[in-house]
Amino acid sequence: MMNRHLALLAAALVVAAQSAAAGSDAVSRGRYLVKAADCAACHTSATGAPFAGGVELKSDFGTFYGTNITPDKEHGIGKWTAGEFYAALRDGVAPDRHLYPAMPYTSYRSMSRADSDAIFAYLMQIKPAAVANKAADLKFPYNMRFGMRFWNMLFLKDALPDASAGQSPAYLRGRYLVNTMGHCAECHTPRGALGQMDGAKPLGGSAMARIAAPDITPAGLSASGWTAADLSSFLRTGVAQQGSAYGEMFAVVHLSTQHLTPGDMWAMTTYLLGDKPLPPQPLKPAPAGADASIDAGRRTYIAVCAGCHGVDGGGKPHVAVAMKGNTTVRSADPRNLIAVTLDGIEAQRFGAKESMQAMPGFAAKLSDKEIAGLSNFLRVSWGGQAGTVGESQVKELRTAIGGLRAR
Amino acid sequence: MSIATQPITLTINGKKVGPMQVAEGLMMIDFLHEYLDLTGSRLGCGQGVCHACVVILDKADGTSEEVRSCITGAHFFDGKKVRTVEGHAKLNDKGEVVALSPVQQKFLEHFSFQCGYCTPGFVNAATVLLERLKRAPVSRDQIDETITESLNAHICRCTGYVRYFEAVKDVVLNTPGLVKEGK
Repeated sequence: MMNRHLALLAAALVVAAQSAAAGSDAVSRGRYLVKAADCAACHTSATGAPFAGGVELKSDFGTFYGTNITPDKEHGIGKWTAGEFYAALRDGVAPDRHLYPAMPYTSYRSMSRADSDAIFAYLMQIKPAAVANKAADLKFPYNMRFGMRFWNMLFLKDALPDASAGQSPAYLRGRYLVNTMGHCAECHTPRGALGQMDGAKPLGGSAMARIAAPDITPAGLSASGWTAADLSSFLRTGVAQQGSAYGEMFAVVHLSTQHLTPGDMWAMTTYLLGDKPLPPQPLKPAPAGADASIDAGRRTYIAVCAGCHGVDGGGKPHVAVAMKGNTTVRSADPRNLIAVTLDGIEAQRFGAKESMQAMPGFAAKLSDKEIAGLSNFLRVSWGGQAGTVGESQVKELRTAIGGLRAR
Repeated sequence: MSIATQPITLTINGKKVGPMQVAEGLMMIDFLHEYLDLTGSRLGCGQGVCHACVVILDKADGTSEEVRSCITGAHFFDGKKVRTVEGHAKLNDKGEVVALSPVQQKFLEHFSFQCGYCTPGFVNAATVLLERLKRAPVSRDQIDETITESLNAHICRCTGYVRYFEAVKDVVLNTPGLVKEGK
């Protein structure tokens, strides 16, 4: 009798342990997927509770705020079902409203139900935060949510177009990580007049924020000399020989890509470069002989840049990145180079072992002419680009509001 | 192969220097040390972090600011006016110190430093702060924050900053016109 009871008890315990294990397995998978999908970027503010929302997202249509996705029943998603959560990710429809595509359901649409459920399981066991959502502050007519119904009919696609080509398992997994989870296209694909992604130029680069998201197509990456090893170093640590992550990409590395498993990292770089990567293009040597404006730029460089970036442009370890071959310098569009020179970059830590010092902004120290000359010197000497930056471009970026498209 | 040079002319501590030929890539601190024998500015980290090397740049609009001489080229200062730690005290005809600046005096009275390596940077930073307050006084309740923010970038490894802070606060409170009346 006693033995039978014990056996039943033991069996019950095993079942309980198994279901607990299944539950915690979904939660731990969800924890990983939340990082892969970079939910924190918009749903965790710098000073707020995790996933309680409040991050400001500026756009041409107005300002959006990341929402509370903690299990709080009043302000968060505590009353949602897993099915409703999946509908929000897939269709952009929450139980009580249409979402705006500031929430990248346009990318998450291809997420698997199992992954959506795992994310939901993870979110439902974090600490609820009773933090009210901030209403989006949008211009007319974008403030009419029902308009999203038509927008979705026009622009919501089941899958995003590929910028690269391939069929390997790593490539297919990478497509899921880049296009669906990482929602890279949301910043790196140019957008049309109604904010829709331009399907003809996937990952071709876009200037939504003050720092533009560069071209990360295979051709674009190859043109600035990126290899799979460089990309994986960049996504894992935020630093590669082509430079360091800054602007919004720093947060992406910090919150998301650095946490990917080596297998997923490999998949991501495989998708970006394609199964047959283009060879990285070597840096074009600087033409011999320089005109007066380039020489003035060189002297500006020596006066206020070389102390950290080196007279030879080679950078200094843990101080400042190399300018020679830097993607920002090699980019055909000088926007980021000028913006960074004007604004500077905060001191940044990259994982446990790497850091870069603060770069001061030179908006008050250098004139438009000096910054144009400096940009041209950098582009010609270490970027393989033409020295075509004019004072007006510097002036325009000087007055453009940070975080908004310069128009 | 010879080192490329450029001509430089500038004013340092009220005296005209140059024109002279100076290597293109020479940092300001090396120019001060090696060409002018002004060895008071300290080379600490050599990468713009510790601020021991800062000099004062006097701008045309009458304002002054700190510049890190270890990461700023000498030629950046061409045609400009600079003060170094050697330029603060009053000297007599023989070049002997007859009076320290108020900042220097208070640093001594408060025992602000031990090894003194960071002191030239602190003297310059505090002087720039006093000059800023002379142009734009702050209210009494903002003094602590203002001093902290102006000296924050300067690293000291001996005295833990408190004595520098107290000395600067002493000067600020006892110099007329730096604090807004009322509060």
